[in-house]
Amino acid sequence: MPINQDNRPLNRRLAILQVVFGLVLLLLLGKLWHLSVVHYSFYEELAHNNRVRTVPLVAPRGLILDREGRVLADNVPSSKLLVYRDELDDEEATYAFIARGLGLSPSQVRESVEKASRRVGRFRPLEVTGSLSLEQVAYFKARQAEHPEVRISRQPRRLYRHGPLAAHVLGYVGEINEAQLGSKEFQGFKPGDVIGKFGLERQYNRLLSGKDGSALVRVNSQGKATAEISRQEPTRGSPLHITLDLDLQMAAEEALSQEIGAVVALDPRNGEVLAMASSPAYDPNGFARGLSAEEWEELNNPGKPLQNRAIQNAYSPGSIFKVVMAAAGLRSGVYSLDTTVYCNGGATIYGHRFRCHHSGGHGRVGLELAIERSCNVYFYQMGRQMPIDQIHHYASQFGLGRATGIDLPGEVSGLLPSTRWKREARDQPWYPGETISVSIGQGPINVTPLQLASAIGVAATGRAPRPHLALRSGAGEVSSQAAPNLLEDFDPRHIEGIRQGMWRAVNNWGTARAARVEGFDVAGKTGTAQVIGRETLEKLSKEEAARFTTNAWFAGFAPRDNPEVVVVALVQQGGGGGAKAAPIAGKLFDLYYRKHHLHEPMQSPVELR
Amino acid sequence: MALISRRFFYDFDYVLLAIVLALTSFGILGVYSATWEAGPGPLRGHLLRVALGLVLCLFFSLFDYRRLTDHALPIYLGAVAVLVATLFFGTEIKGSRSWIQFAGFGLQPSEMAKLAVLLVLAKFLGEVRESYLGMRTLVLLGGLFGLPVLLIILQGDMGTALMYFSLLGATLFLAGLKMRIVVAMVLAASLLAPIGWFSLQDYQRERIMVTFNPDHDPQGVGYQVRQSKIAIGSGGLTGKGLGKGLQSQLGFVPEVHTDFIFALLAEEVGFLGGGTILILFGLLLLRILSVAGEAADRTGILLAAGVAALIFLHMLTNVGMTLGILPAIGVPLPFVSYGGSSTLTMFAAVGMVINVRTRRFLY
Repeated sequence: MPINQDNRPLNRRLAILQVVFGLVLLLLLGKLWHLSVVHYSFYEELAHNNRVRTVPLVAPRGLILDREGRVLADNVPSSKLLVYRDELDDEEATYAFIARGLGLSPSQVRESVEKASRRVGRFRPLEVTGSLSLEQVAYFKARQAEHPEVRISRQPRRLYRHGPLAAHVLGYVGEINEAQLGSKEFQGFKPGDVIGKFGLERQYNRLLSGKDGSALVRVNSQGKATAEISRQEPTRGSPLHITLDLDLQMAAEEALSQEIGAVVALDPRNGEVLAMASSPAYDPNGFARGLSAEEWEELNNPGKPLQNRAIQNAYSPGSIFKVVMAAAGLRSGVYSLDTTVYCNGGATIYGHRFRCHHSGGHGRVGLELAIERSCNVYFYQMGRQMPIDQIHHYASQFGLGRATGIDLPGEVSGLLPSTRWKREARDQPWYPGETISVSIGQGPINVTPLQLASAIGVAATGRAPRPHLALRSGAGEVSSQAAPNLLEDFDPRHIEGIRQGMWRAVNNWGTARAARVEGFDVAGKTGTAQVIGRETLEKLSKEEAARFTTNAWFAGFAPRDNPEVVVVALVQQGGGGGAKAAPIAGKLFDLYYRKHHLHEPMQSPVELR
Repeated sequence: MALISRRFFYDFDYVLLAIVLALTSFGILGVYSATWEAGPGPLRGHLLRVALGLVLCLFFSLFDYRRLTDHALPIYLGAVAVLVATLFFGTEIKGSRSWIQFAGFGLQPSEMAKLAVLLVLAKFLGEVRESYLGMRTLVLLGGLFGLPVLLIILQGDMGTALMYFSLLGATLFLAGLKMRIVVAMVLAASLLAPIGWFSLQDYQRERIMVTFNPDHDPQGVGYQVRQSKIAIGSGGLTGKGLGKGLQSQLGFVPEVHTDFIFALLAEEVGFLGGGTILILFGLLLLRILSVAGEAADRTGILLAAGVAALIFLHMLTNVGMTLGILPAIGVPLPFVSYGGSSTLTMFAAVGMVINVRTRRFLY
């Protein structure tokens, strides 16, 4: 390290640098002064005459089409009312003028303008109202010259051609809100943008949203456009073809229309969801138009029409679980295909009497009969020999207890109990008696209709493709729907036995006769699950109790030997399993049979315009 | 090892840091005004990078700068390696392949490499024993300097490459280049200019033409610069108020939170605001040069002066462009533009200057 360096020449040159830097800075300061002080009025004038407007050119969202290319979600032109606040000379007059045109009070207009202005810069147009009627458009058009600050803009609006049809799957769109603006999911979207808020619209929002464009337009002092300076065309969103079959979807919704519940139909060979209905439903067009307070109230009533009951709610599966249980018992080796038990109307296990629903008893019962007649005792005895964690292990291979991973937001995972769950959730040990309840689908076990459809598909085919709704998009394949094979070595003879038992439940004297279709080999299973506790139950009369306290299930597939379609129907508070749910499924099987096996022409659905 | 002693706090250059923070607050105002409509995201991102910059600044002031210059060569070689890698595996953004994705951030090695090049120049020239630089030294230097700059030009980032010349110019000038050679170089440069002119891309030539004749293309670059001038001019003495700049808010002025942020500030806080920014830059440069004047060794002098030159050229290029007196070469305004790799680099550079001042006494 040199210590006695002579830095004098260096310091001289540093001084030169100081002078140079200083001079250049003075020069810049001078130029700034020259522009903003000396020539202020000149540039002020230029800026003022730079009356250029950005006219938003909103991109239409991509179409959503069913598997046969029938359009479910479309766009229609609509007119919006915009206010340019930088040209607002007399607020009161403008608000009064808009209020007259819209039939509102000036204070309401003021409120909506002020609300919108909190999020939009002063020089961008504010949207006062979503969609104008023809008369309103005419009113504002005629007075354009008096009020150049108020303008009409044509923008595409989402239209669901069949109103509430498949509403829970499609979801709905709406204006992005504060919370979403800051979120990762909607990065890159700006205030005022219309985004998918629910269902597929949300799941595939990026794909369906096009890219908005804008035009820079020079306007004169009356607000008339005189020239277009530049234009960036909007790009339309990509179309999305989905797996739903409109015919099946309509049949499902019609069958469910008087009930509260859900229906799912899927193709067990590839996981394509053919129908997914949830009732009560709602009309997603309301969101695109803008909702009135009453409509909003209606949507948030206790009936919860916005909820997709097929995936957002888990229910006690009741006897339907026996199908999964049977497979678990066989695969674990606890039972063989030849195992039989004797049912005398119940079984005493751990000193407690567990009843069969057929108090006279089923007699000697093997696998097929147990499924056909839904004999509890057969499964009680199976549950006695299987620890809960073993049941958990096998049942989870059927996809229970976790989300199926369908491409929809908001799917719940349901509940498949285990000793670990009991410890973590309730801080209690697992009691063997609970295992007996779980073995017939009672107790702490919950499934979504979709999970159940998926699980029945697994039981009927031995394969476990992931349920999904996206078929393909304009931008190529949507996402790989690889079928994870959850199952190691599913014995085909086991499948055969379970299929046969379910076929007998529908076609012999089993519990699911209402789902029969002449000429079509339907197999299925019903279930009834308690909804409320025993104390409440005792206060009700017998009929009321059946009506209000049980969920009715049906789950089945067809044809028996080479399953092409699985249908699950759930009717909340629908009484005994066969009564409400099986006929709904029967309608779907019937339609599927006529369409795909008899090739009957289908009625084309009525469209909204 | 860096011991944060009482001495460190005593000698720390608070004045320099205060000036930088004043500039930074103008930047925060500008970024907020330019991006508030898009939600809090951009501002948050900017503040995050400024905070990160401050951490870097502190870090680079902690240990004796000679520990850095002693390892200048390996640091330099590492930087060159990264530049080469970027050239091959980088991400292309806006026509230049100068980005690497790292931990969710896009980094520009060409920004960070400025420090490595400065270190190597300061070290090398700081230890030259000749009172005037000889030919051999110059050729070697030319190689050291030319390699990274060439790589950056190959990445297609002319603006950044141009900034490097401030480092070379300042260090050579200070390290005792004969005035004759300085003059000769200026002459050579002006003779070579036509060759450079033809090696430029069309759009770059366009930009330079436009500077001399703004009406040349009313829609392209010239249009942007014109809008920027209208924004600045219509700001007047006191400005239109934050968030009320018609020009900037309407999106007439392009890149308003990055390269044209000075135009937005001049429009919204007027000559007083814009002038204050320029004066702050003046104070900053003078302060750094005075640090150079007090430095303990030649390397320290060259380090500090190099940082001053780097900041100066950025500021000149950026402000000159917004005022319409220099070609539209998009470079960020140090400490003011929306944060990025350049922000981090500048803060680190200031950290090194503070470092040089803290250790101005030989101990």
